[in-house]
Amino acid sequence: MLDQAFEPLKKYDYGTPISELQGIEDAVVAAHDDAALRQDLEQHLIASLESDISRDAKDYVCRKLAQVGSPAAVPTLSKLVSTENAHLARHALERIPGPEAAAVLTTAAVELTGKLKIGAIASVGARGEASGVATLAGLLKDGDPAVARSAAMSLGLIGGVEAAAALQPALQAGSGDKSLVIDALLECAESLLRSGQTAEAKAIYASLAGDQQPRLVRLAATRGLLACGAQAEA
Amino acid sequence: MLPRLTSLLILVALCTVPLAVRADGSDDLVNQIIPLLSHPDREFRAAALEKVRTAAKGTAATQTFAAQLPKLDPSAQAALITALGDRGDVAARPAVLEQLGSSDEAVRAAALAALGEIGTPADLPQLAKALTSGSDAEKQAARKALIRMGDPAVVKAIAADSKTASPQLRAKLIEVLATRRATGELDAIIAATMDDDGGVRTAAMNALGQIGTPDRLAAMLPGVLKADRGRERDNAERNVAEVCKRISNEDERGEALIAALDTIDAARRDELMPLVGRVGGRRLIKFVADIATGDDASRRAFGVDALGKWPDASPADTLLEIADKTTDASERRHAFLAYVKVCAIRDRRNDQQRLERMKQAMKEARTSEEKLAVLNRTRTAYDVEAMRFVRPYLDQPEFCQMACETIVELAHHRQIRDPNKAEFDAVLDQVIKLSKDEEVVERANRYKRGETWQRGRR
Repeated sequence: MLDQAFEPLKKYDYGTPISELQGIEDAVVAAHDDAALRQDLEQHLIASLESDISRDAKDYVCRKLAQVGSPAAVPTLSKLVSTENAHLARHALERIPGPEAAAVLTTAAVELTGKLKIGAIASVGARGEASGVATLAGLLKDGDPAVARSAAMSLGLIGGVEAAAALQPALQAGSGDKSLVIDALLECAESLLRSGQTAEAKAIYASLAGDQQPRLVRLAATRGLLACGAQAEA
Repeated sequence: MLPRLTSLLILVALCTVPLAVRADGSDDLVNQIIPLLSHPDREFRAAALEKVRTAAKGTAATQTFAAQLPKLDPSAQAALITALGDRGDVAARPAVLEQLGSSDEAVRAAALAALGEIGTPADLPQLAKALTSGSDAEKQAARKALIRMGDPAVVKAIAADSKTASPQLRAKLIEVLATRRATGELDAIIAATMDDDGGVRTAAMNALGQIGTPDRLAAMLPGVLKADRGRERDNAERNVAEVCKRISNEDERGEALIAALDTIDAARRDELMPLVGRVGGRRLIKFVADIATGDDASRRAFGVDALGKWPDASPADTLLEIADKTTDASERRHAFLAYVKVCAIRDRRNDQQRLERMKQAMKEARTSEEKLAVLNRTRTAYDVEAMRFVRPYLDQPEFCQMACETIVELAHHRQIRDPNKAEFDAVLDQVIKLSKDEEVVERANRYKRGETWQRGRR
């Protein structure tokens, strides 16, 4: 039955009505509570991705793998992170659980160049896993300011003490625009506060409340410090 | 995840950065908040005030915050008082009461408003005083506080004061009772409708219009009779009519009002006919029509007056019949003008039906005054045919000015003016030429230019 549902994908391209793929859509829904079907569907999607189908069809498959994919799909998706399908491949890898997908993105963040590199860095942040912190910390020092900014933003998304510790040297470093580093640090503090690590959050806020900081940063830090105080009291 | 020890080391490293808020033992929330209350930047103050409202629980913290009031400038004082009110802890009340003596109006107003949240019935005298003798801001704050105070004893105390205070204060307290929807105090409000002071009576009637219940209709009617004729009586009638409207069934509404009227001394009952007219409805129209067509001339006048105040055109034929049959010129005039008035009411009829009534009225009109009334009221029929009906009267000097005014009123309505622009332009040219009223001419010029709302310089 799945074979029949995948048949239209071979001819699918820009402009083809999405209704042609209704069989696959229905299978994705049915796979929600059917592990065997989900596995079968994933294998069909992987096989399609490795076949000679259009770019749009591959993008579609990546979207579906983001919904039903498992580590089994990672090797195939990893081949796409440096291609024209990179964006949707990363979309899937951001959502597939397990260290395999995280490793692919981390490697891509280091090895790729240009916008693909920045995209991979953002995907590491989007996964929100602390395992990405070390790589991102290294990228903070990248000579390309866009790479460094993207790394700072991703560290903010990951949050936590380690991410904050990685960001702190960038704040202390001499010149350059620090606003994204500060934003990321504030995000780290907020995530720490949410997870009940009040002392750690407070230390970050305090580091940003000094008179040398811009007014809005001091205001945000002050609000954070008050929130820490309120949480400690609760 | 790094080990805990590493986390702590990171923490130590982070803490080497200069801090704006000290962490040297004074790092509890209250001590964080206090210096920010006097921060020169209002957004920093706002951050602290938000915590005064919602965090640092407990009486001790409240008292600590309240103790800062004398140290702050008036602007910060007012903000802190408001926050303490929102905090809702009565422990702040003594400090807030002290601020009622502030030389700054904003501080006094904030303190009055805060009593709405943390005040007690013991504060009523001060709030009542501010309600009548304070500045506008203080009056508003005191009113807000009296409305907000949650203690059930407050309503009883306000109701008691509304019987004994000065007339000005009584009126204001009755307004407060109405806004609080104090339906348990209707007796006190109804009693106030018989007050010797017109302001108190009006406030009481307004309150009944807001919260009165139909089962108390009979008790409200003496208040209508007590009201001075004119504006106060009209207001009283309108408010009692509002109470009647709370009975959704039209016939039941009529029965309830008739039952209430039966409790009134027969000698004065007819004075309430205008109220009956305001309520309207099938059941009441017969009741009033019987009076309006009866043998007693003085009662007939009340009946005609009532029919003239009907909320729709249903008594039109009755009024025309009275106007036709009577031999008394004054009664004819009274009935005919009432007839024209109800014919013109913008009720459920459409504009064509309304215009037909006006044309019929013009045929029935006997005097210039009656014809002028018809021309005047024709402006409520928003139809180009209404303009065509009025236009010939531009040629009659006696009716020319009224016709000009009605045509300009009709031209005001874009929906009839725009589709008939050429015709309206022509008639507006006539108005511009003939009218002796500058405003009418100015409006006619504007409507010709398609400017409905732009006012010209006078």
